[in-house]
Amino acid sequence: MSGAAVVARKGFGTHAKHALLLVGFSGLLFYVTRAVPDMHGGLWTIAAIGFLLLAGTLTSELLGPLGLPHLTGYLLAGIASGPYLLRLVDEHTVKSLSPINTLALSLIALTGGAELDMAAMRRASRSLAWATLVQCFLVLALVTAVFCAARPLIPFARALPVAPLFGVALLWGALAVTRSPSATLGILSQTRASGPLATFTLAFVMVSDIVVVVLLAAVFACVRPLLDPAASFSFDSFVKLGHDLFGSIALGTTLGLIIAAYLRLVNRQMLVVLLVLGFGASTVLDYLQFDSLLTFMVAGFIVRNMSKQGHKLVQYIEQTGTVVYVVFFATAGADLDVPLLRQLWPVALLLAGSRAIISFAGSRIAGRLANDPPVLRRWAWSGLVSQAGLALGLAVIVAREFPAIGTGFRALAIATVAVNEMVGPILFKLALDRSGETSRIRAPSFPSMPPPPMPG
Amino acid sequence: MNAVLLLVGLLVLSYLGSFLVGGRTVRGAGLPSGVEYVALGFVLGPQALDLVGGDMLASFEPVVQVALGWLAFAVGLDFGYAGERRARAGNIALATLSALLTGGAVAGATWLVVRRFHVGATVTEQLLLAGGVGVACSETTRHAVRWVVDRHSARGPLAEQLNDIANTDDLLPLLAVAVLFSLSPATNIPMKLPLVEWPAITVGLGLLLGAGAALLVRSELKLDETWAILFGVSLIAIGTTARLGLSTLAASFFAGLAVSLLSRHGKELRAMVAPTERPVLLPALLLAGAHLSFHDNPRLPWIAGIAIAARFAAKIVFGWLLAAISPSARKAGGLMGLSLMSSGALAMSIGLAFALRFPGMLGDTVLVVAALSATVGEFVGPARLRVALKRAGEMDDSPPAAPTPQRAPA
Repeated sequence: MSGAAVVARKGFGTHAKHALLLVGFSGLLFYVTRAVPDMHGGLWTIAAIGFLLLAGTLTSELLGPLGLPHLTGYLLAGIASGPYLLRLVDEHTVKSLSPINTLALSLIALTGGAELDMAAMRRASRSLAWATLVQCFLVLALVTAVFCAARPLIPFARALPVAPLFGVALLWGALAVTRSPSATLGILSQTRASGPLATFTLAFVMVSDIVVVVLLAAVFACVRPLLDPAASFSFDSFVKLGHDLFGSIALGTTLGLIIAAYLRLVNRQMLVVLLVLGFGASTVLDYLQFDSLLTFMVAGFIVRNMSKQGHKLVQYIEQTGTVVYVVFFATAGADLDVPLLRQLWPVALLLAGSRAIISFAGSRIAGRLANDPPVLRRWAWSGLVSQAGLALGLAVIVAREFPAIGTGFRALAIATVAVNEMVGPILFKLALDRSGETSRIRAPSFPSMPPPPMPG
Repeated sequence: MNAVLLLVGLLVLSYLGSFLVGGRTVRGAGLPSGVEYVALGFVLGPQALDLVGGDMLASFEPVVQVALGWLAFAVGLDFGYAGERRARAGNIALATLSALLTGGAVAGATWLVVRRFHVGATVTEQLLLAGGVGVACSETTRHAVRWVVDRHSARGPLAEQLNDIANTDDLLPLLAVAVLFSLSPATNIPMKLPLVEWPAITVGLGLLLGAGAALLVRSELKLDETWAILFGVSLIAIGTTARLGLSTLAASFFAGLAVSLLSRHGKELRAMVAPTERPVLLPALLLAGAHLSFHDNPRLPWIAGIAIAARFAAKIVFGWLLAAISPSARKAGGLMGLSLMSSGALAMSIGLAFALRFPGMLGDTVLVVAALSATVGEFVGPARLRVALKRAGEMDDSPPAAPTPQRAPA
């Protein structure tokens, strides 16, 4: 491989060529989808994956000069080709891509865990502790308050009496606490950033993933009597939570030790091993009703911190995971309900904006309390804006548990998460670029390619 | 069996398959045609143990289509090369002649049986059956010659020539598949086009997509982006042709060929894709075995017997033709042509593609004949190849070489 060379800028001609080819490929699929009715839905899924992969890759390349993250390109490609715009990928196809999402989430969690270095976490423990405490409770409290204040703008909340309104607002506050490990890792994978901001954000997002699960159990227990007068406060959900957490951690530890042993003793064909883990282990974990994200995260953490194989694991996932990430985020884009967003955008913007501002304020307060370095005080909030799968998963659970408000809550959550999903990665990449943590080492390309010119 | 379990099983098989080949190096384990995996698939499939039922096989059609398309893409990318060496133009022409002669003889013989026993409801169906059997029997598997040559360290003009022929005889069969699939256009297509235009569309679509991919990978892309483009284009070719009812194999082959011809990074791309071939092939062979059905056509023994006999005859005749123009082939004896009897990956892929596109008697017959032909070829081809190479003085009597050490993990 060409090794470490300096980032080269692609010329206008290359971008024009990519744009033309993207239009050409889109035109071909547009014609085929319009001219020939689909008789075998499953087979068109193949073309859809191919197109999302290609379009995501090319769009992210085209957006490169604007400084936008690749992830935004993947999302935009998905939105454009999805069921609400070009309809190259229909709703059925988007749903049939769920196994890819399972695989991607497993890889994301595994990478996230493997990126968490115990020593670095110990050094940042003070910052992490204050940030977790402040971000959880400040966001929960203030977003709940904003939701209550914005009641007249929220269709399903207008008619609610005070107690149920507070319950729904608390659920919204809990939803606002969730972050996006996938977006964080997507940006870090693209920028290959290293430094205090990258380390802190990753550690915070992964830790908050566990904290949020506990917080949600508490909020659910408190909210249930407010929304359902027949229900009473119960600790049952904590018992189940304990079972989930300990089971997931135990299984994750075992899995991590097995992966570490495999990497040390065999160290071959990790692509197939990762596929088996992504599909097979996720199914087993679903069956056992354990949290697969937590399990994979713990597995990655064990490989990183209890063996010398962590860097190998991250390298393998980076090599094989990019393709899966493109499809994952492009599918998320295709799944975005554009008409719903068009309908709810003012309130979604208000709630997303207030959450971002509160996260910013929380970050400043936590930074001061922990005596963080200036780069964290200035930029730590930027990685906390993104939201994605976890928030949407929570919205689905709320809709299932509280059917009376479920539909409206889920629709608003989808619209708000869409805003955060689009804006968050841009902010985080901007912060990494501005703080100088973005790597200037170029990713490997073909050996026969000429080395890119040195800048300046 | 649970679908995820089957998928994991296929992945494990793929994992094992990856140990048989490291880079371009055959390790010498397993049979060159891979018929043992076909047999395993048959045993697990609905006709035997029924661990993999018919419904599950149907739900795995997209996986099979992707495997077949990717294999054809890899074959197209590697077309014209024998390992890392470019095949001689004369040998490519001979390979095409070999495929034409063998495929034509088998198709002709099958046609006579089909007409004699009135197999198939329409003339189109009879044409598809005869043509499908002919095409599935026309190739010589690349792995067989490499297997013998690598394992016995055979070196010389005959070994090189046979290797070239086995590596480059895929063009005509895949073109023929494109033509045959066009004989029966999919019912969901509203356009009515002349017969000749459908194969042209298949080939054109493959070349167009491949040219697009070649243009993209000409730019300075990272490796993961290159993978994304190759996968993306290959999947678009597979999905689009499947929707149009055209041949996935042919379109993917021509896409791979276009990438190889038009990209300046052909060597690297071939090195990238080659190690994926075996891991994809083994699950595809297993699923092909699970699709085997011997009950749909009462005339199957006749068709299979005549087709295999015609294949024997055609290979012997081709051997004579080769002997007439090549001194090293002359030294190998009159039955030298039988050393090209091995068939495998492509033959089974063609059979499986027919079974998926024309479910029932037609597709099942083509697949079964492809499997039987590969099995017979397994017994005859490598043994005759060793004899031929010994007679030509290109292989000594020493025991087979130990498996080649594995390369660094890809």
